[in-house]
Amino acid sequence: MTLLGIAWRNIRQRSVTSSLTALSLALGVALVVATLVTGGIVKQAFDSGSGLGYNMIVGAKGSPLQLVLNSVYFISRPIENISWSFYQEFLPAAERVDGADGRFAASTATAVPICMGDYYRSHRVVGTNAAFFSRLKRGNGEPYRFAAGANFTDDDFFGGVIGAAVAGTLGLKVGDPFAPTHGADDGAVHDPFYVRGILARTDTPIDRGVFVNMEGFYLQEGHAKPLSDGAVAGGGDGENADSTAGSPPRVDGQPQPLPYDQREVTAILLETASLPGLPPELTSMGLRTTINEGREAQAALPIAEIRQLLDLFVKPLELLLLLVTTLVVIVSAIGILVSMVGSSLERSRDVAVMRALGARRAHVLATVLFEAILLAGFGGLAGWALGHAIVAAIGPWITTNAGVSASIFSGSWAEALLVPFLVALAIAAALIPAIAAYRTDVAKWLQGG
Amino acid sequence: MAPPVIQLEHVRKRFALPGGEAVPVLDIESFAMAAGEQCALEGQSGSGKSTLLHVISGIMRPDAGRVVIDGVDLVRLPEARRDRVRADKLGLVFQQFNLLPGFTALENLLVAMSFGSGKADRSRATDLLAAVGLADRLHHKPAELSIGQQQRVAVARALANRPRVILADEPTASIDPAHQQQVIDLLKTTCSEHDVALLVVTHAPEVAGQFPRRLRLEDFNRAARAGASA
Repeated sequence: MTLLGIAWRNIRQRSVTSSLTALSLALGVALVVATLVTGGIVKQAFDSGSGLGYNMIVGAKGSPLQLVLNSVYFISRPIENISWSFYQEFLPAAERVDGADGRFAASTATAVPICMGDYYRSHRVVGTNAAFFSRLKRGNGEPYRFAAGANFTDDDFFGGVIGAAVAGTLGLKVGDPFAPTHGADDGAVHDPFYVRGILARTDTPIDRGVFVNMEGFYLQEGHAKPLSDGAVAGGGDGENADSTAGSPPRVDGQPQPLPYDQREVTAILLETASLPGLPPELTSMGLRTTINEGREAQAALPIAEIRQLLDLFVKPLELLLLLVTTLVVIVSAIGILVSMVGSSLERSRDVAVMRALGARRAHVLATVLFEAILLAGFGGLAGWALGHAIVAAIGPWITTNAGVSASIFSGSWAEALLVPFLVALAIAAALIPAIAAYRTDVAKWLQGG
Repeated sequence: MAPPVIQLEHVRKRFALPGGEAVPVLDIESFAMAAGEQCALEGQSGSGKSTLLHVISGIMRPDAGRVVIDGVDLVRLPEARRDRVRADKLGLVFQQFNLLPGFTALENLLVAMSFGSGKADRSRATDLLAAVGLADRLHHKPAELSIGQQQRVAVARALANRPRVILADEPTASIDPAHQQQVIDLLKTTCSEHDVALLVVTHAPEVAGQFPRRLRLEDFNRAARAGASA
């Protein structure tokens, strides 16, 4: 019989104590694993904001972080809107009615407007144009792919595209109608849009977004900016529209776009261009400064804002959680010590018998350490499995709410160190009872303790 | 006469009292047992019987003298080597049997074998238990065995590593009279069959009287004589 076999027998002999010790270890490790994995998921969720095909967000004055959280991650509330005319300043002459380049057109490679404020069954509805999916990226520079259908076209006013998580949760298919509500789930119900495409999973917040053609979005009740007294609606193709309250203006039964002066956008997603003779960074810095010095809007750099958020809140929180959970593991390891010290009286007699049978001091020392290693190993592995089972169980919730896939296989490199760390900790904790076993006075115990 | 398997020469052992005073427990000029010999050792409580067994088995080191087991002087060996000699050449039977409670009868033998030089031989362990009438109790833990059966496991375990000597410390002290004779018979018969020397420490004259050689510790331990006369 090997020393490992003897250690295993000793553990089984004290099955209740051993099970409780292993359970406390398992729970501690499960907590650490769940923390590590969720921490990784949080970082992944925010890191997914990089490589989206834009490097700047322009929106109403206010908190730049709120602007980023709202525009990129669809969390927090929109600040305010900015005017359509300010959006036009980023467009080249070819895309403007007046045929002149916008003020910031030279510094702009891509400008995609977004309008927010509506929901479809707790999912944020984003009004935008077809460029969102044709010119922006899904993250890491990859273009958007459609699992079914295709992007809506700009003249398809009531076309929409839904993220993979939305399709999965709500069971929407291409061609299905969906009617957003104004402001919140219980707000006024708008006219229906139709699903033209379902995006392939991106593991970004896009997965839980509902995107509609902003032309249709503008035509919904309450979305047109009220005109000031005496002003006349103009711009767009809406001059001759037959507009009645509560329904979109139509010509020959076809919906007409909202006049430009009644439009606003929530934010503009910008990919800056390089001005001649200037590196891209300087161009974006200059553009940002110019916008921020103006009175109408602010410009935020999403990566910088998120990095700041991670550094300020997420990382310290993650560290704190890790510290707490590590303390839990240490307490669990102390549980091994307590369990082994508690059984030392019983062990001393057995050790004395084994020594009388010819066991060397090193044998009994090793047996006690093996017990600790087995307890820590089994407890650690069980906890690791339990931690991943917890993550897998809440995975669908994470995917829906964070737009990041979390499965039983989601993990962190730090986990690889967890069980060895626990075993080392258990060995350290078991040294006290092991040394006590090593020093057992055989003659004393054989004579009746 | 066969060469001695136990040979003690000028063995002295003292225990220190809490006050610092050293009390002599063993002072033996000479003691020997031949291979296969069976001997009962009597003595009053506190005469040093258990200490003598611990010194012979290498569990305790004397302050002076030689303790030679099957030609090997234990006193000159480091502790780990003494442990190995004890595992290989000596079998111990305790008053309380001292079986390992978490292990089955068979495993109690296998554990003892694992500390010896040979391999843990499952079939030999099974044969030994069968020889003491426990073929159908191999996988029973001590708590599931009767007192008599436990003592038989203890005897089989003592024989596990083919020892040259079995030391039995009051093997009948904690069992009822009906089982006492069975244990003595088992020890004597088994040791004869395996040509193993047997030293039984007892304070029971009816047990000591059944052995061909019967010694009183006070007769050859000067420390015990001094203690008794004091």
